[in-house]
Amino acid sequence: MNALLKLSRLIDELTERIGKAAIWTVLIVVLISSGNAVMRYTINYSSNAYLEIQWYLFGLIFFSCAGYTLLHNEHVRIDVITGNFSKRTQTWIDILGTVFFLVPMACLVLYMATPVLLDSIKSNEMSNNEGGLIMWPARFMIVAGFFLLLLQGLSELIKRVGFLMGLCPDPTEKYKKKSAEEELAEAIRAEKGVPQ
Amino acid sequence: MIDFIIANMAPIIFVSMVLFLLLGYPVAFALAANGIVFGLIGIELGLLGPQLFQALPDRLLGVMSNDTLLAVPFFTFMGLILERSGMAEDLLDTIGQLFGPIRGGLAYAVIFVGALLAATTGVVAASVISMGLISLPIMLRYGYDKRLASGVIAASGTLAQIIPPSLVLIIMADQLGKSVGDMYKGAFIPGFILAGLYVGYVVLVSIFKPKWVPALPLEARSFREPNGATGGRSLLVLTVISVAIAIAFAKTLPADKPLDELIVLCLMLGILVPFVIALINKAFKIGLLSAMAEKVTFVLIPPLALIFLVLGTIFLGIATPTEGGAMGATGALLMAIGRKRLNVSLLKQAMTTTARLTTFVVFILIGARIFSLTFYGVDGHRWVEHLLTDLPGGQIGFLIVVNILVFLLAFFLDFFELSFIVVPLLGPVAEKLGIDLIWFGVLLGVNMQTSFMHPPFGFALFYLRSVAPASVKTTDIYWGAIPFVCIQIIMVALIIAFPQLVTAGLDKDVKVDINTIELMAPSVDYGAEEEPAPAPTEPEKK
Repeated sequence: MNALLKLSRLIDELTERIGKAAIWTVLIVVLISSGNAVMRYTINYSSNAYLEIQWYLFGLIFFSCAGYTLLHNEHVRIDVITGNFSKRTQTWIDILGTVFFLVPMACLVLYMATPVLLDSIKSNEMSNNEGGLIMWPARFMIVAGFFLLLLQGLSELIKRVGFLMGLCPDPTEKYKKKSAEEELAEAIRAEKGVPQ
Repeated sequence: MIDFIIANMAPIIFVSMVLFLLLGYPVAFALAANGIVFGLIGIELGLLGPQLFQALPDRLLGVMSNDTLLAVPFFTFMGLILERSGMAEDLLDTIGQLFGPIRGGLAYAVIFVGALLAATTGVVAASVISMGLISLPIMLRYGYDKRLASGVIAASGTLAQIIPPSLVLIIMADQLGKSVGDMYKGAFIPGFILAGLYVGYVVLVSIFKPKWVPALPLEARSFREPNGATGGRSLLVLTVISVAIAIAFAKTLPADKPLDELIVLCLMLGILVPFVIALINKAFKIGLLSAMAEKVTFVLIPPLALIFLVLGTIFLGIATPTEGGAMGATGALLMAIGRKRLNVSLLKQAMTTTARLTTFVVFILIGARIFSLTFYGVDGHRWVEHLLTDLPGGQIGFLIVVNILVFLLAFFLDFFELSFIVVPLLGPVAEKLGIDLIWFGVLLGVNMQTSFMHPPFGFALFYLRSVAPASVKTTDIYWGAIPFVCIQIIMVALIIAFPQLVTAGLDKDVKVDINTIELMAPSVDYGAEEEPAPAPTEPEKK
């Protein structure tokens, strides 16, 4: 079990690094997209490559952050009922959910998408649009994204089993950071000199 | 047993989806697993072809290349940068001072600023938090009723949900297969009518319960000229001049210009005039304007400029809604830099929050797509259609049932879940009943807006609680929200009774070239051939 927990820490580290790097995509795609609009309006220039790069980057945001979002426990849940359950019960739900929901989904997508990716690389598939980009990087993102998600799923599984066995702390506690809303409230309070 | 399952596959899948979701495991994976489990059962029973999941890789590519959804990170990012730029605080301070001296004035200021912030971006939490920290203490200090004060803040914050540009409308447009630009145009008038209804309620309160909404006492008013006047007359004159110039300009334009284009152009001019006057006044210190007039002008320019940058460019057909979002985000960044509010840690936080929100939203969509592969495969949409078209009362019966259903579901589900799971089931039925989908989307949007406000789970109430002083009890916040929830329901009824509130904004835009712009966007419809059944979740690309 200790070896597994070590593995889980390694996976977490990897996910965290990828996520931290991938967030910059947001800024890049904002700039490219507003650039596209301005260029088209001012000098009437428009290229399918630049339009396509927008959605390549969009895909990059959510596929590279799929595991990262899972690590930070930010995938939306409907917890009206289970929110009141004990920590142990919730942990059990997470374990079963990972085994029966997340892992099969990721495996199915990997099973279906990998051959398509290999075909795409072999045939040098191009986008249907004139002047468009090559396709395999987009298909690669799907495979890589779900692989990272699967990997992070395994890490979450290990941590939760470890928690039930009393070998590690509650994995959902560590990543509870201040939300954007809390930071905003703090900033306004600081400025107005209102005590907390 | 097997026969029973085969005959009732769609209802079984539906019920088990509800159960899976209620387990509290992330929605995206629960939905997908539901689709996979029943897909495999369906294949085993011969209900579905073995090639069911073949379409999966291309469906995922379709989610990626969805130009509409790209607007989600843009508007989120814009909102996150903007909320930290200090713009909302300045607005609340100044407009509060402007309206404060009249009875109910602070409440009007909150509604006005709420609508203005809503038209720049679409983040409910940010508006509620700013108002809760800036306006609420002032309202309480000068004797406002706690319930009214908290209710008006929560409600004005949720205006961000319905006044474009808002995330709900983007996702609604995507799921109903309509253009975001049209959805925005349709929601514009209802959004402002709603704000008007809030104002109307405050007017009623100020007549019947004047003690709930006292005017600011003299010592609390900060605008004062050397001679003791408030400077209101100068502001009035400035406003009249600007409006006159804008109207005169409108008369010079050809009469066949589309209405929305006309409004945007005139507004631009109407804003530019006082801004230039105020700049000249400030630079040469000629004392033409009162302090109040100058301050109000300067504080209104940034939000109005952003509104032009986003909605103006969309309505004029210069940018697609997605690009409008990107321009808005760039504008917000520039403004934050200009105000010296931007630093690396804020930027990183905004990007992180945006990336995570985008990820969980898109993954709910991916889950919903996998679910719909199976659900449509077993003709689940026909089952839903039968249930809903057989309702007594035709269109009206359908609308009433759907609105009650969405209203109740909104107690438990947030709007992302509602729009990805429930809306695609309702859209095709509405279309079959001859209902205009833009109108239907706006109607559902107003309905879902309520979910932010009704106790005990409403997000707006939750955020207000987190910043309200302890003297405001949680029950005050709950009770305060209820009149506004009622106004919301009245608005839903109004939209049903007068569809032209939505459709009036749509008719003349045939020549706006948003359509030609969208033609240039990648229009690959991945995997359309391999679909087991035509799925309404896959909007027709133009």
